[in-house]
Amino acid sequence: MATRERIEPEAGRLVDMSWDPITRIVGNLGIYTKIDFRQRQVATCKSTSSLFRGYSVFMKGKDPRDSHFITSRICGICGDNHAVCSMYAQNMAYGVKTPPLGEWIVNLGEAAEYIFDHTIFQDNLVFVDFCEQMVQSTNPSVMEKAERAEAPGAATHGYRTIADIMRSYNPFTGETYREALVISRISREMICLMEGRHVHPSTIYPGGVGTVATPQLFTDYLMRLLRCLDFIKKAVAMNEDVFDFFYEALPGYEEVGRRRILLGCWGAWNNPDYVDYDYRHMQQWGDEMFVTPGIIVDGELITTNLVEINLGIRILLGSSYYDDWTNEEMFVERDPLGNPVDRRHPWNQTTLPRPQRRDLEGGNYSWVMSPRWYDRRTGDHLALDTGGGALARLWATALADKVHTPYVNATGSSVRISLPATPNSAATELEWRIPQWSNAIERDRARVYFIAYSAAMALHFVEKGLEEVRSGVTKVFEDFEVPDEAIGCGFHEAVRGVLSHHLVIRDKKIANYHPYPPTPWNGSPTDSFGTPGPYEDAVAGQPIFEENGPDDFRGIDIMRAVRSFDPCLPCGVHMYLGGGKTLKQLHSPMLGAHSGG
Amino acid sequence: MVKTGKPDVAPDAPSHVPGIRTGHEPGAYERMPGHLPDGRSTAARSTGINARARDPIDPSMPNLSPP
Repeated sequence: MATRERIEPEAGRLVDMSWDPITRIVGNLGIYTKIDFRQRQVATCKSTSSLFRGYSVFMKGKDPRDSHFITSRICGICGDNHAVCSMYAQNMAYGVKTPPLGEWIVNLGEAAEYIFDHTIFQDNLVFVDFCEQMVQSTNPSVMEKAERAEAPGAATHGYRTIADIMRSYNPFTGETYREALVISRISREMICLMEGRHVHPSTIYPGGVGTVATPQLFTDYLMRLLRCLDFIKKAVAMNEDVFDFFYEALPGYEEVGRRRILLGCWGAWNNPDYVDYDYRHMQQWGDEMFVTPGIIVDGELITTNLVEINLGIRILLGSSYYDDWTNEEMFVERDPLGNPVDRRHPWNQTTLPRPQRRDLEGGNYSWVMSPRWYDRRTGDHLALDTGGGALARLWATALADKVHTPYVNATGSSVRISLPATPNSAATELEWRIPQWSNAIERDRARVYFIAYSAAMALHFVEKGLEEVRSGVTKVFEDFEVPDEAIGCGFHEAVRGVLSHHLVIRDKKIANYHPYPPTPWNGSPTDSFGTPGPYEDAVAGQPIFEENGPDDFRGIDIMRAVRSFDPCLPCGVHMYLGGGKTLKQLHSPMLGAHSGG
Repeated sequence: MVKTGKPDVAPDAPSHVPGIRTGHEPGAYERMPGHLPDGRSTAARSTGINARARDPIDPSMPNLSPP
């Protein structure tokens, strides 16, 4: 699947560079590269994780009704996505449908989660890589250009030059950085209103929610949403200006983090008018989701059918610390439609950990497995990425042309978002157009548009929820019984991309449970077919634009590429330079202290 | 050293014990006061004290009891 030819460097020209850990998400993410400083290119890249979680191991034998509370703990920032996805899988297994008002409440909670999580990641973490202090220390010539570059969106956001915007991104001191923290607090309050608690919801259950729906609940939410909208309108304009400037100031920057367009989206926000959580109708209600599920290969939407998406999932090994499970039990031979289910599908997976030494030279080097999607047309096992979540969601929704709501409309080549007038800003029409590349800048740009998309959808959900309340229908939960034997699957979008939970119940207990969040897809190692994972693929072969040499190299372009996938929260980055010289650099959010800013 | 007794349950025992009534079991909705079969509710959902006096004065109004 590698899209670029491997560089053949002359002997001794490569410098080993590694960043481990990069994030504090599901396991420590390490990026190990070999950089050719003469050709100014990354030659090879390996993505590793050194932490084993084991949810699929210890979920066995537990009561399935606990699974949304347990799996929520997978993540410390998008745990509610897991709770909701688990609730979807349980609804299918128990054969229960959440009443419409309950569904709108879940959708409102998840919309607030997208606003919160994307905002805090974009403005408080990604933009540390694009702020004045960082750009000054990695590309001083770009900073000079930024000082002279007028910002086209100045009328909207109020910053005259690109450098002014970059200064507002400076950690701790920058205006945008600080404002984003306030917005992330307000949006978390919105989640708490609907889901009881953030990040591990207390009022989401299979069959419904425990939230008591009153007019006050929705107006409290709406009041906060309108305040977020003022910020979002400014944020979109600032993002556009900065990203366009980077393409202009650094010709060829589109190559940073670029890989073949292989995107997966599992769809978000069920439409209660259609969803019945019956697997046999999953294609129909999947198509009615407010973010359309889809798989995009080389810019072409090859399916939006959730059943086809489900059956194509394959969990491969190849560079992971596990024994193969081919001799273990098959839990699900056929799906409820009679289709055969593969032995490597999550329903049939058995996790057999085999701890061992990391071997980056042709051996096993990660606790992450390699989820792939089997393309029936070609027989390829595609290493899909999520584009940081937002890119795949917008791309699939735009191409599928199925979402038509009062505030968000797909057009076949773009997504139009209408935001109404809010206390400090006029009504705004936004349009996200399908970009030319799947690269770092476009992943980051899509993120801010998806914040606007979520806010616009939330307006729709508030109106629908209030409609139910005004008609006096206050039912938010449905009774159910746990069957002796059942299977279920939930498809959802975690903030940073595809999320699926696969559940098998036997004797009223969990016989098999496999959550697949976005990071295994994006951060997977090279699989048994030799296909590298998306981080590896995106970074290997990318050019280096940083002006620093090997001695004070910060790897900013590699960081931008990896962070564009939203590997949750970047924290401390320890850098190792070949030849025994170790540099320790404090990265975001400690950059301010490091730079004396 | 603090002496502790033998634990009654294993740490991974299911949190739901068979035989104990659960809020989601079939029929639970009908048994709960104030929840009507058509999805609407009355003030009895919120209070057991003189609930009928707290219903809307006009029966055509939505009955929005406080949490």
